[in-house]
Amino acid sequence: MTYQIYEQTVNHPDQINKLTMGMTITEKIMAHNSGRDQVKPGELVWVDVESVMTMDYLGKTCFEKFRSLGPSEVFDKDKVICVSDHLVPPPNQKFATMLNEWREVVRQHDITHFYDLGRQGIAHQIMVEQGHVLPGKISIGTDSHANTYGAVGAVGNAVGVTDAAVAMATGKAWFRVPEAVKFHITGVWQPWVMAKDLSLHIMGMMHWNGHLIYKTLEFTGPAIDSLDMAGRMTLCNMTVDLGAKNGIIKPDQTTKTYLEGVAKGEWEMIESDADAQYEEVYEIDINDLAPTVALPDKLDDTVTVDQLVGTKFNKAFVGTCTNGRLEDIEVIARILKDKQVHRDVNMILVPASQTVYLEALQAGHLETLIKAGVAIDTPSCAACAGIHTGVAGDGDIVLSAGNRNMKGRMGSKNAQIYLSSPAVVAASALKGVISDPRNL
Amino acid sequence: MSKIEGTCWVADDYVMAYDIIIQEYWTSAIDPEDNSLWVMAGVKDAFNKENGFKDNGYTFIVAAHNFAGGGKSIEHVVAGLIGAGIQAVFADSFARLQFRNAINYGLPFITSKGIAEHCKTGDTLSYEPDSGIITNMTNGTEFSSVPPAPFVAEVSAAGGLMNYVREKINKGEAIG
Repeated sequence: MTYQIYEQTVNHPDQINKLTMGMTITEKIMAHNSGRDQVKPGELVWVDVESVMTMDYLGKTCFEKFRSLGPSEVFDKDKVICVSDHLVPPPNQKFATMLNEWREVVRQHDITHFYDLGRQGIAHQIMVEQGHVLPGKISIGTDSHANTYGAVGAVGNAVGVTDAAVAMATGKAWFRVPEAVKFHITGVWQPWVMAKDLSLHIMGMMHWNGHLIYKTLEFTGPAIDSLDMAGRMTLCNMTVDLGAKNGIIKPDQTTKTYLEGVAKGEWEMIESDADAQYEEVYEIDINDLAPTVALPDKLDDTVTVDQLVGTKFNKAFVGTCTNGRLEDIEVIARILKDKQVHRDVNMILVPASQTVYLEALQAGHLETLIKAGVAIDTPSCAACAGIHTGVAGDGDIVLSAGNRNMKGRMGSKNAQIYLSSPAVVAASALKGVISDPRNL
Repeated sequence: MSKIEGTCWVADDYVMAYDIIIQEYWTSAIDPEDNSLWVMAGVKDAFNKENGFKDNGYTFIVAAHNFAGGGKSIEHVVAGLIGAGIQAVFADSFARLQFRNAINYGLPFITSKGIAEHCKTGDTLSYEPDSGIITNMTNGTEFSSVPPAPFVAEVSAAGGLMNYVREKINKGEAIG
């Protein structure tokens, strides 16, 4: 197996005489958006993009690069989406100035959808909740967790500012059609077991940036059909951390219901053909899936929570593009209702967007959490990017519902980060040591 | 392209994008010269000073699996390597975000299985882009590599994706 971009793909002998082969959902989306009937893994295609996202700390460079290509106007002002998420609200003068420069450049280009402080959220949350990513379409963003967009049956892909600048100018991006791996998930979601646990379970099984590098990962099966959009977003979000090109779930009634009233364009309900080709298919039964935790420093160093019960920590964090949604907040509010966060733990919640923040307020969750001793901050990437809002200091042991735990990710290199679901974070915050939410 | 010759640095496992450009420089401008000053600062103490990596004058990096992984898509990583004088990276595999950036910047990220086992830091290597042959001139071993696709070679010849697309736009040619 070589991973380089091939000059030509080689068909399996059995397939050569077939006029058309079945395609996976990702292959179909790439074919439909590049004007082809058929694409095969390894092929290189230029596709039309539905939307291009860039955000505060890279956005100015992105626009400068775009301008250097020649055009003065972006390919579609409604489809270049600008978000302030990493630097807001600015914790220092340097970032305040960067934000001002960013705002100026967005205004200069008369961008329709600018989610700045006051209307902000984490870019990936905004892209999905505001309907900028759509089933059957391709969206790119200048942040690695753009894989989240697969939750609605879109191909979502992280790129650098160069690709984003090219797409701003042309409405196109180049892709190598990826080989596919399927995860067929059966069983029933057990109490306090969340999509994050499945993500971390798969991380431990397949390894962080293991042999899934460059692949498209497709999640299917009854346990996926019954998963809400928040869970689907969590699952697709972390496929980038498996090294994959994208993670995707076929659109269904859940997707349609979610997108009604928010979708910013037409969409196409696409799913894999019955005879689509997969390099591998993994079956996972979630009836036995336990809450799962990644140990500090490496995402694939995972254990079930029972092995860590009693482990001390001092900071609890719920938020991020992985687990900062209303459904996540609801779970922690249920656990902490009429109870108190342990005195040895500081707990912070950062909702993933202003919309989520408001919904959590209206549902009464924020009142529940404030009474329980949880600090709540304005939506942003917050400490997950190690920039502001509860960063880790020397000696801190953090239990986070975020997505990365390498040294220094949340601040100090001398801090430790455990990753888990919001349910594990809340149950543990209550007890003051890592705890199993199923035993509350 | 003509043959390239120079010394190599052999990376340890798990050299992540995070180690190549450490967190405090993520929000700096993307500029090969600037980004190269602190490139690799997170890998080890010897590189964690101004020009700590660059001053070694390496031409190549040799790595094992998943070079530049960990999930960052920032282009500072590839820009910093270019600014430090790196002309090609050979590895078993690359993290896809930085692999893509490398293609867009015209920096060869070349897949060559098992090469790290046969190279030591400071060895002199040569690389023939046309044949894909990599030779360790210090110990006499030779490796093949997967040739880049025509599109990748075209982007590289144009000096990166920006130049490639700019030329197409200037000539009024369709992309894709």
